[in-house]
Amino acid sequence: MRAIDNNLIACSVCHQLLKYSPKKDKNTILCCPRCKSKVQSRRHNSIQQTWALVIASIIFIIPANLLPMMHVDTFAGSQSDTIMSGVIYFIQSGSWPIALVIFVASIFVPVLKIIILLYLLISVQLGSCKRHRQRKRLYVLTEFIGRWSMVDIYVVAVMVALVYFKGISTIHAGTGANYFLLVVICTMVAAMRFDPRLIWDIKECNMKNKENNDK
Amino acid sequence: MKADYVSCHECDQICKVSINGAKGRLKCPICDNILYKHNEKMVENMFALSLSAFLLFIIVMVFPFMSFTIPGNTSDATFTSSIIYLFSDEQWMMATIILITTVIVPFTRIILYLTLFGSLYFGKIPYYAGESIKLLHKLMPWGMLDVFLIGILVSVVKLVKMGTIHTGISLWAFFILVFVFSAMEIQFDAHPIWDKIDEHQKDKL
Repeated sequence: MRAIDNNLIACSVCHQLLKYSPKKDKNTILCCPRCKSKVQSRRHNSIQQTWALVIASIIFIIPANLLPMMHVDTFAGSQSDTIMSGVIYFIQSGSWPIALVIFVASIFVPVLKIIILLYLLISVQLGSCKRHRQRKRLYVLTEFIGRWSMVDIYVVAVMVALVYFKGISTIHAGTGANYFLLVVICTMVAAMRFDPRLIWDIKECNMKNKENNDK
Repeated sequence: MKADYVSCHECDQICKVSINGAKGRLKCPICDNILYKHNEKMVENMFALSLSAFLLFIIVMVFPFMSFTIPGNTSDATFTSSIIYLFSDEQWMMATIILITTVIVPFTRIILYLTLFGSLYFGKIPYYAGESIKLLHKLMPWGMLDVFLIGILVSVVKLVKMGTIHTGISLWAFFILVFVFSAMEIQFDAHPIWDKIDEHQKDKL
């Protein structure tokens, strides 16, 4: 039994169930009597907004990986590091667990998140009836791993703070770090804007499931 | 014994929640999303944890964080010096985001937890309870102290070959703070508080 089929909306903040009349537009906005926040049956324009943010993050991910994350200035000269050169440095110096952490957090996770979001968007728009549970798990995964891409930004920040020897060597954040930050924020907001209930909303699937249950 | 209906906000399934007094959590039968956590000592635990988080946060902010020594030179860092250096380097975006995710959001959350559970502990339901929970709900994904912890570990490994790193009190306090925060996140469930707010509003009328 689903809330939408019984003319009920759950408040997204306090989870109070509210009644609404489906005759009105699907995107009616109610006000929750308990927490006074706006309540909608489904997030308004969820698919469009998610698409926009996903496309933005695909664009930002290119300069994020090509431009330097940080510049190391010493009296001998200046050296720039991109994400991948940092990973290669760690592999060469033998600390492969750290190389793995950086690789997973900065390259693997953002790409994985974008791919998962694209898959979810396309499958919802095509009205796919398959693997609801797995797709929902993928969604929870993107929400959960989203924050962990920030690791690389924090590494740069801590390096900037610790290696601060004026005249001898200093570290500056590069432009790549800014783009990388934009990728992380865009994918995080995209995952928040996506409404997971849409995965379960396709009417024909629910009809089919009912028939199967009746049999 | 109390029963209530909630709808799963991941798959919209309506589920019946019945509480028989035992500690535990209820999952949605369709998609395994956690719907409800029940723990009778939630208020007491949350008050204690938020109080310790508050004290730890002050220690983290005030005391020296780490210092890095290369032959002939030492640079001392506090928790916020990375933000200050980034600001003076005109990296506005990075500095602002780091300031928000590691200082402003965690501190706001601690204050909100402390005021909310402090007054609940002493048996009062504050008029700002609903607003606090709403704000906490919004801030939830943007506090990133645990990610910052991993960032610190990675950069320490990066630097350890170049010089000597001395740890300050603030760093150890920060480690504990991360664990206190995750303990709070595991415990916290807004449903019982909403129920109390409901009762309170009914009493008023």
